[in-house]
Amino acid sequence: MSKRILVVDDEELVRNYVTRALLSRGYDVITAVDGASAVAIIEKEDFDLAICDLKMPDLRGEEVIRRLKVRRPLTSVIVITGSVSDISNPILPMLSVDGFLIKPFGINEVREMVEKILKAK
Amino acid sequence: MNHKANILVVDDEEPISEMISAGLSDQGYKVSAAFTGEEGVRKMSGDKFDLVILDIMMPGMDGIAALGEIKKLDPEVEVIMVTGHGTMGTAIQSMRRGAFDYLHKPFEITELFAVVERALEKRKFNDITKAIFSTIKSEELLRIIIDSAVRILKADEALLVLLDAAGRPYIAVSEGLNGEPRKISRLQASSRILARLADDKGTSVVLIEDPLKDALFADIEHIGEVKFAMLLPLIEGNKLLGLININRMQLDEYFNENDMQRAKIFASLVNLALRNANLYKQLQETQSQLIQAEKMSALGQLAGGLAHEINNPLSGILGLTQLVLEKMNADTQSYQDLKDIEKAVFRCKKIIASLLSFARQEKTRLEPININEAIEETLVLCARQMELKHITIVREFGAELPPVNADFQQLMQVFLNLFTNARDAMPDGGTITIRTHLASPAPDKKELLAVSLADTGSGIPQEILDRVFDPFFTTKPAGKGTGLGLSVCLGIINRHNGAILAHSEPGKGSVFTLYLPVG
Repeated sequence: MSKRILVVDDEELVRNYVTRALLSRGYDVITAVDGASAVAIIEKEDFDLAICDLKMPDLRGEEVIRRLKVRRPLTSVIVITGSVSDISNPILPMLSVDGFLIKPFGINEVREMVEKILKAK
Repeated sequence: MNHKANILVVDDEEPISEMISAGLSDQGYKVSAAFTGEEGVRKMSGDKFDLVILDIMMPGMDGIAALGEIKKLDPEVEVIMVTGHGTMGTAIQSMRRGAFDYLHKPFEITELFAVVERALEKRKFNDITKAIFSTIKSEELLRIIIDSAVRILKADEALLVLLDAAGRPYIAVSEGLNGEPRKISRLQASSRILARLADDKGTSVVLIEDPLKDALFADIEHIGEVKFAMLLPLIEGNKLLGLININRMQLDEYFNENDMQRAKIFASLVNLALRNANLYKQLQETQSQLIQAEKMSALGQLAGGLAHEINNPLSGILGLTQLVLEKMNADTQSYQDLKDIEKAVFRCKKIIASLLSFARQEKTRLEPININEAIEETLVLCARQMELKHITIVREFGAELPPVNADFQQLMQVFLNLFTNARDAMPDGGTITIRTHLASPAPDKKELLAVSLADTGSGIPQEILDRVFDPFFTTKPAGKGTGLGLSVCLGIINRHNGAILAHSEPGKGSVFTLYLPVG
């Protein structure tokens, strides 16, 4: 059975290509356009990995990830960020994030990171 | 020589007024006469006078009242009071009201000349003092001082000799020296005295009579013209800055004790002027640093926000381009075009990364580090590139340098930037000389370590040298540089309480020097 991935980013362009890059590798992808809809999905659906943007207008990515970890502690998380300095964001290690994608990133960066993390599980 | 001084004589007794006027005219002064206090005040308001000779006992407005009015009109004019019998008390009163001196009738005409001369001298010194506080152009100020030295000391020529950065004497200002041969001649004489002063640690005035007969100067051309030379060393702290040389060309015009006293005042005025000029330069530098810091922080915030905004669409362009590329035949033109778009995105990514590192006001973690080690570490990173570009690295590292308080990573970033710039300035190869040494202490006595990086590249034209630290300023071809490298360096060095300076000689290369406070 193919792995299921949740992609959360308010930027349509990014959501679009990340989703398609993963779909073409045979993953099952669900998307959320903001923090609130991401939380709604977390409540009712199951998946193996979340790729989540940090900076969103309604709910910060950190909060989405925190709720995800409460509800589904074993789900892996990749953080999307526009800034290298977010890597030193002190909250993220507490949420045991598995990887970072720094914008602008290419499709193979996403695929390689996803593959590595899911394989390790 | 004194014909420029303008004197007003106010006395109601015509014979006395005439005698004074005639005597002063003979001395070369320009004299006007007034016969009542009122007339004197009227003349004052119409003309500019350097000196007033004012009788106290006059019908109508007396000397004391006139003095008050005159000082109101021109507080800087010097006034000499002339008193008759029984007016000693008023003489003292007038001194309190700002008169320069008084003469007691009857007086000898030579007595008058001496007082007039002293009064005018004081006025001249006042002018210089005023100039010191109002003139900020140091060269103009030094000119005024040297010019006055010639006039007050009744000399024929005077020169201010200072030492340049390399310790070589040069004529900063001169008065009465006509033609290059004379300048060379006097500079030679002054240089020899300076050398002797430096050897003996001498600080006192040197007087030379007939230098042609002195073995130290005899071989200098045109020196025979000088009959009496006075040389005053200029000393600040323990440092010999240069000297003032004042020359008289007539026989029998010895410099006396009085002349030496006055000359010393000039020496201290020059010292003051030089110190002033230095302070002003420092003030200007601090100001421009402040402006620069201000500019950087405003720009940094703007750039940081902007970079985040741009990263979203840029990420989209990159990802979508790559998705299309995957489905395309690599032989087509469109495939090539998309590849170019992909490359352009990577270029943008690089620019934004340096923009962000510039905008980020990251906390600088200071720890004692060995500067030579930081340089070596950086060199490891770029050794291969340098080799490829035929660039030789010369290390002139100071031994046993004290540690500096610095952020190792950030310093490496600075060095990497400077190395990269030096490399790009030498497309056909060359040499980078890295020198580390203890620099002379900062004004606050803090020890400073200096690192200089000299390349043998094309150099930076003078007119753009002070812009190289401006954000986005670049001379590299489009796409080769972000124009942020040096402003990032400046930001880092500022956070270290250090300084970074650029020197360049077009055709010879550029030198970037960092100063960092020691531990």
